[in-house]
Amino acid sequence: MLTYVVRRLLVAIPTLWGVATGVFIMARLLPGDPARVIAGVLATPEQVEHIRHQLGLDQPLYVQYLDFIGRLLRLDLGVSAHFGSPVAAEIASRIPYTVALAVTAIAIAVILGVSAGIGAAIRRNTPLDLVISALSVFGISMPVYWLGLMLIVLFAIQVHWLPAAGADSPTSIILPAFTLAVFSVGLIARITRGSMLEVLNQDYIRTARAKGAPFRRVVLKHALRNALLPIITTIGLQFGSLLGGAVLTESVFSWPGVGRLLLDSIFFRDYPMVQGLVLLFAVTYIAINLLTDLLYAYVDPRIRYD
Amino acid sequence: MRTSIPAFDTTELAPPAEGEIQAVHEAAWRQLLRHRSAVAGLVVLAVYALAALLGPVVFHQYNPAHQDLNAVLLPPSPHHLLGTDNYGRDELLDLVYGSRYTLSLGLLAVVIGVGVGVPLGAASGYFGGWADLLIQRLTDIMLAFPNIVLALALVAALGPGLKNVVIAVGVSSIPNFIRLVRSEALKVRQLPYVEAARALGVPSARILLRHLIPNVLAPVIVLATLQMGLAILVAAGLGFFGLGVQPPTPEWGELLGEGHNYIFRDANLVTFPGLCIFFAVLAFNLVGDGLRDVLDPRLRT
Amino acid sequence: MKRRLLTCLTAAGLLLAACGQATSAPSGGAPKQGQTLTVAIGIDPDTLDPMRQTTTTVQNIVQMVVQTLVQVNQQGKIEPLLATKWEQSADGLTWTFTLRQGVKFTDGEAFDAQAVQTNMSRVLDPSNTCPLCGIMPKAVKSVEPVDANHVRFTLSEPLASDLFLGLLSEVTFGFLAPQTIQKGTPGYQDQEQPVGTGPYVYSERVKGDHVTLTRNDHYWGKEPAYKQQVFKVVPEAASRETLVRSGQAQVILSPPAADIPALQHESDLKVLLAPDDRTIFIALNTTDKQQPLLQKPEVRQALNYAVDKNAIIKSTLFGAADPMTGPMAPSLFGYCQQPAYQYDPNKAKQMLQQAGAAGMTLKLISPTGRYTQDFQAAQDIANNLRAVGVNVQGPQTMDWPTYLATINVPPANATVDAHLLGWAPGYLDASQQMTIFDGSQIPKKGLNTSYYDNPQVNALLQKAATETNRQARAQEYCQAEKMVWNDAPWIFLWVQRFPIVYSAKVKGVSYVPNESFNTVYAQPA
Repeated sequence: MLTYVVRRLLVAIPTLWGVATGVFIMARLLPGDPARVIAGVLATPEQVEHIRHQLGLDQPLYVQYLDFIGRLLRLDLGVSAHFGSPVAAEIASRIPYTVALAVTAIAIAVILGVSAGIGAAIRRNTPLDLVISALSVFGISMPVYWLGLMLIVLFAIQVHWLPAAGADSPTSIILPAFTLAVFSVGLIARITRGSMLEVLNQDYIRTARAKGAPFRRVVLKHALRNALLPIITTIGLQFGSLLGGAVLTESVFSWPGVGRLLLDSIFFRDYPMVQGLVLLFAVTYIAINLLTDLLYAYVDPRIRYD
Repeated sequence: MRTSIPAFDTTELAPPAEGEIQAVHEAAWRQLLRHRSAVAGLVVLAVYALAALLGPVVFHQYNPAHQDLNAVLLPPSPHHLLGTDNYGRDELLDLVYGSRYTLSLGLLAVVIGVGVGVPLGAASGYFGGWADLLIQRLTDIMLAFPNIVLALALVAALGPGLKNVVIAVGVSSIPNFIRLVRSEALKVRQLPYVEAARALGVPSARILLRHLIPNVLAPVIVLATLQMGLAILVAAGLGFFGLGVQPPTPEWGELLGEGHNYIFRDANLVTFPGLCIFFAVLAFNLVGDGLRDVLDPRLRT
Repeated sequence: MKRRLLTCLTAAGLLLAACGQATSAPSGGAPKQGQTLTVAIGIDPDTLDPMRQTTTTVQNIVQMVVQTLVQVNQQGKIEPLLATKWEQSADGLTWTFTLRQGVKFTDGEAFDAQAVQTNMSRVLDPSNTCPLCGIMPKAVKSVEPVDANHVRFTLSEPLASDLFLGLLSEVTFGFLAPQTIQKGTPGYQDQEQPVGTGPYVYSERVKGDHVTLTRNDHYWGKEPAYKQQVFKVVPEAASRETLVRSGQAQVILSPPAADIPALQHESDLKVLLAPDDRTIFIALNTTDKQQPLLQKPEVRQALNYAVDKNAIIKSTLFGAADPMTGPMAPSLFGYCQQPAYQYDPNKAKQMLQQAGAAGMTLKLISPTGRYTQDFQAAQDIANNLRAVGVNVQGPQTMDWPTYLATINVPPANATVDAHLLGWAPGYLDASQQMTIFDGSQIPKKGLNTSYYDNPQVNALLQKAATETNRQARAQEYCQAEKMVWNDAPWIFLWVQRFPIVYSAKVKGVSYVPNESFNTVYAQPA
């Protein structure tokens, strides 16, 4: 088990190096002069040059690259061109918001998705099943930001129940989290329904029921446990794509998380920040994939890693 | 957002003969037409396709690029059933014309995804070794970027507009196809008759064409259908930042992106393009699901 | 904030309700009398250091904390702030300022001549980043205290008083408590928690979300009404509007332009279309090689006649602008009115025909979301031009950094014929506006992106910059403006207005005509 984890972590290193190199190149391929963007249109060429020097952008590309990788090895993400403060600190101050949003959304998605999926599976081919199946495919077909705008119109403009923007009130999280969750709810419900159906048809479930075990218990204890594997994979995969969805959701709701920070940083050509954030996304993605695989082993003891 | 990729098991399949494939396709099509939700999806797509093909013929006197400063943001009236937008364009007719752009955007983006992703995935899985390692790392790297971010960076580099949005969205869908085809190729490589063919020195290209392609066709069609919906969603996301398709091209993502600046003044400009997009994506998802059920009965739920 | 979020986080979505009860929302609900004023702004400040900032939004916030020697009032005139009076020597090379007495920084330090010197040497240090310093580092030779209450600026060349005082009115040259910016400390290069002498004190910032200022209870001037002002970052215009409609914010900047007419009819809201000094124009490539016809002034004039400014302002900008009546905003010193290019498509067509430019092609680009309805307006303009037979390619748009990189190129590398741009001088003097017509400011040296180079204009501008006689200076600018107007290096469009929407429960929201809002003396109505 431990060797497996270590091996996976070792494989992650070249991937991260690749991501780092990829984002470095991507950032430099974007047209535009970061120094001019920071200095603004009214600045003199001398000031622009001064800023370019401070950012190290007057260095040859390979020097910039070596510097970036060198810092990275020392876990130093550099200084944000836009904010002038360390990238790591900047990101750290935004992470709690995105994590709060993502975790809330996943929680909503799991609760609603799994229960809807189970409901649909045990009431297979009833109107309930039909409604749930329809709703779940609606969920994965919804344009995220359109949904966000519609919710704002409904809940913030029409009835003034919930805030439309920001993160300053505890109720602020409701609309963005729900918006973000909708896609995952649909997906998780579908997967749950599918894998529950498969399990419910298995002999041992039939046996358990024939022996008179209460239906509720059969479903929750035996069936769900065995149907969990694909559900976990989906949730794991969802967490990654949720971070992507967060980019749009955070922008629609003015939520001060890392997704919006990444977008802003692209528009500001804040190379160090874009690099830092993409690396963060990559690390998260890799870590969650690993965690998902480990959870597999926990849920299904038949799976062994060695 | 990524859709999870369905797992397909092709290990048990024998090498299919030409006629067999034909028969399978016909059977699949008949089955699909019995699949209720898939038919619903097909109907929606048919309506859209009809709008795309006939709309511009029927409303030939309307020029979607025509802008009229004296008629901006008009409320719905018998003249303009959904009112006019901020350029004085008729919203309804724009939506009709828009089907053309949005559908072709989805289609072309997926053509890129398939065109690049399938060969790379096949090479990666079939040849293994360095090629595999390299392609796999590249895929990992691309997957580490949320696809809207990747698309946005590409559009920032290439500039907005229909063509570049297609490229950006298409490119960001490539890794999904690579992954899918690679896993299929890995399996095909281990099929006894493929191993035999290799031992006999049959050229790789021929093995890939004869054995891999037929095996991946079904899952690729399913993924491609689902990805068309996704491509439309990503393009709409770009529209939110004003970097998607540009006016006066009345692509739905563009209409939605423009409309969101007028959400208070005229919610129609947001509601209807959004609904059009929603139903298009929904239709692709329904058809994709239907295809999956039909083409891979094991996964039918 | 962070702790609360983390608590919520562990509870995930399950206990949302519990999180809700745990806190009282300061900005939600109705504001108590003079408690908190929430202002929704569109831009997340990059920095709060007066030296490093580059945007008007940041300037507006920082100005409440950090003050300057002089300030610009609502009429655009210079008036005393931390200096009570000033004197220029006969040769124009030395300026002596008398400082306001009894002013203290909020950390208790005294504001005196020494503090002025400490601040000026920081701002003028070439190793520091000061994007808006402009000509100041070159122009100022030294800053020395005469005594505690008098400070002397020595210049290396005479500067026009409107120019020099105009620069000094910018918050770039505002005063921070000397202890906080000592040389050798990080604060010397970057001070993100400015300590000043102003009516408000910096108290908290959550990046990407808000900046909070609290009232300075020992302020030397009139005490503001609100105990606290919160500047909430809401990039989406429609969301800002939602905030003021739902009472989550009392003041918002720049609502969606299309909603201005409706907002004006709301009884519980007020709309202030504040005069601004931002001119919006289409810069034409006057040395164009791909489209040499643009080198002809008649052609450029014809294009000016072809655009229906009034109609576009009415239907696309919803009234939030005024047509340009000269190459600069009327609020600038040195402005003089020019005869309008009245919309006349027939005349335009005729002029183009005479110049052999009928059917000419023109590649046009525009930013999107940078200025009020910019890209939409560019579409309208393109249609206007097509109507007189110009074959317009575009408008194309791109994100701002790409856009800047596209237009900020030497003439030889120009790829477009025309581009939409906005220009807003930081202080209300003609000099900063006219630099974009200065032949010495052609990129990469400056942002004269129409590559306009008229020796007569260049000479007048040079003369005016150092002219100490105000009358004569105004005359020089007026002459230069007339030439520019006739040569038409731009399609002159409009001067933007700066829309501010606020709750009818608040009064005293005001502005300065350089894209500044002023909520210092806002009070509950």
